[in-house]
Amino acid sequence: MSGLSLSHEPVTGVPHGKLAMWIFLASEIMFFTGFFGAFIVLRNSNLELFSHSAGELSKGLALLNTFILIGSSLTMALSILNLEKGNTAKFRLFLGLTILCGFGFLIVKSIEYSTKFGHHIFPWTNVFFSFYFIMTGFHALHVIAGMIPMFFMFIKSFTKKGYNHPAKVETLGLYWHFVDLVWIFLFPVLYLIFPSH
Amino acid sequence: MSNHQHPDPESMFSSYIKVASALFILTVLTWIAALDWVPRSWGEAGNSLHIGIGLFIALIKASMVFYIFMHLKFDNKFIRAFVFVPIFLFFVLTFALNVLGP
Repeated sequence: MSGLSLSHEPVTGVPHGKLAMWIFLASEIMFFTGFFGAFIVLRNSNLELFSHSAGELSKGLALLNTFILIGSSLTMALSILNLEKGNTAKFRLFLGLTILCGFGFLIVKSIEYSTKFGHHIFPWTNVFFSFYFIMTGFHALHVIAGMIPMFFMFIKSFTKKGYNHPAKVETLGLYWHFVDLVWIFLFPVLYLIFPSH
Repeated sequence: MSNHQHPDPESMFSSYIKVASALFILTVLTWIAALDWVPRSWGEAGNSLHIGIGLFIALIKASMVFYIFMHLKFDNKFIRAFVFVPIFLFFVLTFALNVLGP
């Protein structure tokens, strides 16, 4: 071991990229906590409105999107595993599938949004829909933000040099799993916990 | 020196498949739990039961994603301690807001 090696943070022994990503994710947890906190407070003082408005949401599409995101988390994990094993073809296949799942999620989301707009439901319709559009909108932006570096890695894997940076893909994987994690909470909170009557 | 104490790739593969299957099953369970099965006469208590079950399942799912997909199970204690703080604050805040409710 070289004393001058700075590939990892010397105190914690964690690679820099990974440590930075965890710091970022910690701030992301607080970012979404703000939304959830405000949502709870407003829900508690507008129970009727929230319950009635949540009934307008498409639970089926949200369920489909949950399956898509869980699937994409699996393919992401498998792509990292294959890159670590040096299996480039499978790495590319699973990364490509993850990107496809991301697109699938966004397509379903846009169908959901356009249906809402068609029913004259907008972010300013009421406080529930403000939260619905802001929370799912920020989540969708996170999905897009994750897909951009994924796309570059995918393209680079076709070049002569290929893409051989497992640590970078693993760091991106952390972010992608976090996006899945946020949805795991958004799904029941927005779509399911209101009794359907 | 390595920070990766991951088990061998074969066992990681089977862990990923198991976790993803569990996530799919728990998602279906969340869906079933959210159906209108609580008697109306339970009123607000039934509502709380719905929320409790939904969030409890979400919690189990989130732990699996954190521990296996995000490798917290295999990472050093520093990262675990580091992530614990915002998660703890998340639960304190959401719990407090719910208890202090209307």
